Amino acid sequence: MKRFLRIFQVPFIFIIFLSFPGGADAQKVYLDIDSPTMYKFPIAIADFQDLGGGSRELSTFFSSELARVLKITGYFNILDKKAFLEDPAKVGITADKIKFADWTTIGAESLIKGGYTSTATDLKCQFRLFDCIGAKLLVGKEYTGKPQDRRDMVYKFAGEVVLAMTGEKGLFDTKIAFSGRRGKVSEIYTINFDGTGFERITRGNSLTIRPQWGKNGSEICYTSYKDQNPDLYGTNMTTRKERRISRYVGLNVAGPWSPDYRYMLLTLSKDGNPEIYKLDTKTSTLKRLTFESAADVSPCWSPDGSRIAFVSDRAGTPQIYVMDADGGGAKRISYAGNYNTSPAWSPKGNKIAFESRKGGSFHICTMNESGGNVKQVTTNGWNESPSWSPDGRYLVFSGKSGGRARLYVMNANGSNLRVLHEGLDGYNYTSWSPSLNLY
Amino acid sequence: MRNYRVITVFLVFLISVSLAFSVGCAKKGTVAVDEKPAVAEQKPVAPPPPKAEVKEKQQLAQADRAAIKEAAEGVSPIAGFDYIYYDYDKYTVKPEYRDTLNKLADWLKAKPEYSLRIEGNCDERGTAEYNLALGEKRANSAKDYLVKLGLSADKINTISYGKEKPVDPGHNEQAWAKNRNAHFVVYK
Repeated sequence: MKRFLRIFQVPFIFIIFLSFPGGADAQKVYLDIDSPTMYKFPIAIADFQDLGGGSRELSTFFSSELARVLKITGYFNILDKKAFLEDPAKVGITADKIKFADWTTIGAESLIKGGYTSTATDLKCQFRLFDCIGAKLLVGKEYTGKPQDRRDMVYKFAGEVVLAMTGEKGLFDTKIAFSGRRGKVSEIYTINFDGTGFERITRGNSLTIRPQWGKNGSEICYTSYKDQNPDLYGTNMTTRKERRISRYVGLNVAGPWSPDYRYMLLTLSKDGNPEIYKLDTKTSTLKRLTFESAADVSPCWSPDGSRIAFVSDRAGTPQIYVMDADGGGAKRISYAGNYNTSPAWSPKGNKIAFESRKGGSFHICTMNESGGNVKQVTTNGWNESPSWSPDGRYLVFSGKSGGRARLYVMNANGSNLRVLHEGLDGYNYTSWSPSLNLY
Repeated sequence: MRNYRVITVFLVFLISVSLAFSVGCAKKGTVAVDEKPAVAEQKPVAPPPPKAEVKEKQQLAQADRAAIKEAAEGVSPIAGFDYIYYDYDKYTVKPEYRDTLNKLADWLKAKPEYSLRIEGNCDERGTAEYNLALGEKRANSAKDYLVKLGLSADKINTISYGKEKPVDPGHNEQAWAKNRNAHFVVYK
């Protein structure tokens, strides 16, 4: 079984040539991610050149995989190969050998070219991103490894492209965990940002919910009913061994880890009704944060770890509150409608995504951290459980429409909606991993 | 200029590879050029063990768990008065179900060797995590009623399944009404 976390078994060697001719003074273009008509970078990706080894199918593999992966980000307009003027087999892959006018003429502002040498056991590939208007190299990398590493090389360079063009590294080394249901059984699954790598993590053959990623993605914790009580467990993602973390009577449900991964938030009902607690893993102490007779659930951290947003029905119906990290100063921030739940605080701050009941349905909304500037970002179906990407640019959520359940990803303003996974009977409890250093 | 760059590049290559061999860890014969800093393994930390007297009330004994599992899989001796139903978003016991609870209380009083598990359930029209709390409120309100009828609280434990365990998988009012319930399982 392919292990995605390979700290001790680096699958391929990569050596970065920092002194690629042309320099690497990338012009960082910062996206206005909130703009409803976000400009997409027109980019051409040429078939890669076979520099030796004779593996012709790699030529289109690299170009088409890069196109697929970059298109998914929603930042790029991938130009049709049929419009290309030059024959990649005849022209070179370095700036001095490229006629940039051939590319700007067809509307390409950026260009990716590459070349590879391959044998049965080894693969070496050069990737280059050019600024066509400035007629210069932006990023150049060469990766060395085995033939089966070719897709990892694509992901790695795609991350460099996203970094050079948008100022943030890509999300190709992150995963989304969620609770997926088949029939009467739910388990924890993970899937890559681009929809590949769908994998089942738990085998409780019971109800398994509310996954949370641990530090560096080394563990996922979750709640399972397999032992006749909703207990908290964790699976080590390297060894795949499971440990039991908390088994108080009643709910043992995990909130996210604090940004420094020192504290875990917990919803426990051991003291009579669901309350929020903070587990300090440095001192092994459990601190209770809420004391109302109401239900207090679904906690999450502000990105600086100083505050906690959570759901409480102390005012009669479930609404979103913000309190200090030590439990003081709880203040209600959601006021639209009578049912607002599932707060998720953007890693970039000042935005909280949440679920709001509107009419007969549920929709994903965002608001600022004092509850103002409320925006509805889904329009169809029944939508739950929003989670932010680590760069604060995307939301993953579960949606039901037309009788079908799906996992969706979209930009934070609701644009660029795509299906991440479908086919299971239910999806819920999403959680987006940190960068996992997969390759 | 070109040759100078090539030499620089080659030297960078040599230096980085030799550094890797001296610093990095090679496992199973692969040469690992560790670009990333070593990641400290996260040490598992269990919450502090609860104090003895708290432990009694706040842990569900393994014997209970096993007995509940067996009872839930078998034929229920209280079929006919093992479900009560709730209104949407509500958890108060409705007057029409008091009769069911009275029957249940009588049965348990006559068989003191039995304990009771109350499961609280919700229909699908609500947030999954908040429904865990609502299901618990439903189970607890049924428990409170039974305790008022004279049953010992120690012999009743509650669990919420939220909306995770619907009786009826349908997506209509009929199904939803059946899923908003407290379910009673007796075990010994």
